[in-house]
Amino acid sequence: MFEAYIKEYNEAVFDIDKEAALEVVESALQQGVTPEQVVFEIVIPSIEEMMAEIVINADTNLAQHFMTAQIAAEVTEQMLTKFEVPPEVIGRVIIGTSYGDLHSLGKRIVMGCLKSMMVDVIDLGVNVKAEAFVDAAVEQDAQVIAISSMMVHTATGEDGSLKVRALLKERNLEDKIKLVVGGAPYRFDHELYKKVGADTWAADGVTAAKIIRQVILEGKT
Amino acid sequence: MTPLEILSATISGQASPRVPVFCNLLDQGAKKLNMSPEQYFSNGEYVAEAQLKMLKYYGHDNVWSAHYVGKEAQLLGCKEILFANNGVPNVADFVIKSWDDIATFEIPEDITQHPHWKSMDDCLKILRSEVGATNPICAYVTASTTLPAILMGMDKWIELVLTGPVDLRDELVKKCSHFVQQQIKAYRAAGANVIIYANPFGSTYFIPKKMIVDWSMPWMQQDLKDGTESIVYYCGMAPLNTVTELVIEKLNINIFYPAPAPLDDLRDAKRLINGKGLTSGVLDDIKLIHWTEQQTRDEVKRIMEIGKPGGHFLFGTGFMPLDIPEENIITMLNAAFEYGRYA
Repeated sequence: MFEAYIKEYNEAVFDIDKEAALEVVESALQQGVTPEQVVFEIVIPSIEEMMAEIVINADTNLAQHFMTAQIAAEVTEQMLTKFEVPPEVIGRVIIGTSYGDLHSLGKRIVMGCLKSMMVDVIDLGVNVKAEAFVDAAVEQDAQVIAISSMMVHTATGEDGSLKVRALLKERNLEDKIKLVVGGAPYRFDHELYKKVGADTWAADGVTAAKIIRQVILEGKT
Repeated sequence: MTPLEILSATISGQASPRVPVFCNLLDQGAKKLNMSPEQYFSNGEYVAEAQLKMLKYYGHDNVWSAHYVGKEAQLLGCKEILFANNGVPNVADFVIKSWDDIATFEIPEDITQHPHWKSMDDCLKILRSEVGATNPICAYVTASTTLPAILMGMDKWIELVLTGPVDLRDELVKKCSHFVQQQIKAYRAAGANVIIYANPFGSTYFIPKKMIVDWSMPWMQQDLKDGTESIVYYCGMAPLNTVTELVIEKLNINIFYPAPAPLDDLRDAKRLINGKGLTSGVLDDIKLIHWTEQQTRDEVKRIMEIGKPGGHFLFGTGFMPLDIPEENIITMLNAAFEYGRYA
C-alpha cells in the first residue's frame, strides 16, 4: 500500500498535477501514514527521483522542476506542523539573485527543494549586493551562499559572485562558507563557475538543491 | 549577391555563394557611440546609427531594430527599466503585480501611436532607407504564451500556467496575442524583413510536449494568423528539435533558430527540417567570452561542416554578451565567411 502512495505521488509530480499529488498525501494520512513518513519516505525520495531523472533523461522540463519544488515545499510545510518531534535541520543556506538580476524562478525552485530536505533557507530576494550575502552568511552561521543569475553580465560582473569570493577571502571565511552558483549562463559554459570564483555550480534548480546539500554534508565530515 | 539576396536564396533552396552570417549585436551599440545604455536606447536614431556602424565594421549580414526585450513591457505599461553598463537592460517594474491586475490590464489600441514605439519606428525608418534593399533587418517579438513572463515575472507566470485558473491564464494570453499580432504587423510595415518569434513556452525544455500541443500551439497559431513569412522560430536559447516537425506541420514556419550544442544537436536539426526550411547553426556565444582564436575557429568550422551540406543553412549567434572581446567577434566572423563559402 505504502509503495502505491509513493508511485502515485511521483506520477502526479511528474505529470505536474499538484491537485493529484495533494490528494495522495491526504489519502495516505487518512490511512495512517505519519507526517514524518510523508516527508521522509514520499516527498524527499520524490525530489531525489527527479534529481536522478534529470541526470538520465534530458527531457525533464522546467514545469516538472517547478512543481516538484512547489508541491514538496507545500506538503512539507503542512507536515512539519504535525511532527511529533521537530526534525533536525542539516544546515543553513543564504540564497538570492546576483546584483542587477531580478529573475527569481530558479531561486524559488532551489528553495522549495531545500526546505523539504531539511535545509534552513534564508532568502535575501533579488538584486542582492555581495556584502549582503556575506554579512547574512556570517550573522546566520550559514554554510553556503547560493547565487542565482539569469544574465551573463550579472553572473560575470564584478559586483556579483566575484565580489562575494573577494569578500570571503578578505574576511578569511573561505573554509567556512562555500559559494554555489546557478542559472542560464552556467548551462552554456560549464567552466564559467570557476571564472566567477564559485566552489561549484548546478545546471537547474532541482540539481542545485542536491549540490547544496552535498556541500553542507561534506563540510560536516 | 547582397546579404538579403543570399538569405532569400538560402531560404528557397537556390544556389548562393556562401552561408548567411548573422551576428546579433545589440548592447554593443552604446559603447560604439560612447553613450550610457540609457541614453543610447532613448533614441531610435542612435540605435540605427550604431547598427549601421557595426555592420560596416564587422561585415556581418544583419542589423537589429530591437532595442531590448523590456521595450515590449514598456509598450504595455512598464515604468522602470534597470539599465546596466555591462549588460542587458532588465524589466524592474512588473505591470501585473497580482492576478487581480489581469482583468484591468489593457493592450494599446494602436501600438504605433505609443510613445515607446517611436524610437523603434525611428530606428527602422533609417535602417530601411540605408540597408533595407541589401541587408536583413531583424525585429524581435515575444510570443503570447511567454510575454506574461516579462509583465509579471517568470515564476509568477509559470505558477499561473501550471496551477492557476485556466480562464484567467487564457484571458491574459488572449490580450497578449492581440499585442503580438499588432507588433508583427507594425514591424513588417516599418521595414523589418526578419521577425524573430521568441517562445520558450514552445520548447519542451519549459513545458511538456502535450502542453505545447494542447495549449501553446493554438496560441501560436493565433499570434501568427496573418502569415508566417519571414518568421523565425526561436525558443530563447532553449532547445527546439523536439518540436520542429510539429511546428512545420501546425504553423508552417520554415526558419528555425535552435539552441547551441549540446542543447540542440545540429545534425538532428538538419535531419528533422530535412530541406523543408532553413536551419540555423547557432554558436554558443557565452563560451566566446573566453575562447582562444583556435577554439573559436574550430567551433565555427564544426558548425559549418555539419550545416552546409544540402544548403538551407544559416550561421548565427545568440544575443552576444558584452563581455565578448572584440577580437573574438572578428575571429568568429572571419571564420564564418571562410568556412561558409560554397565551393
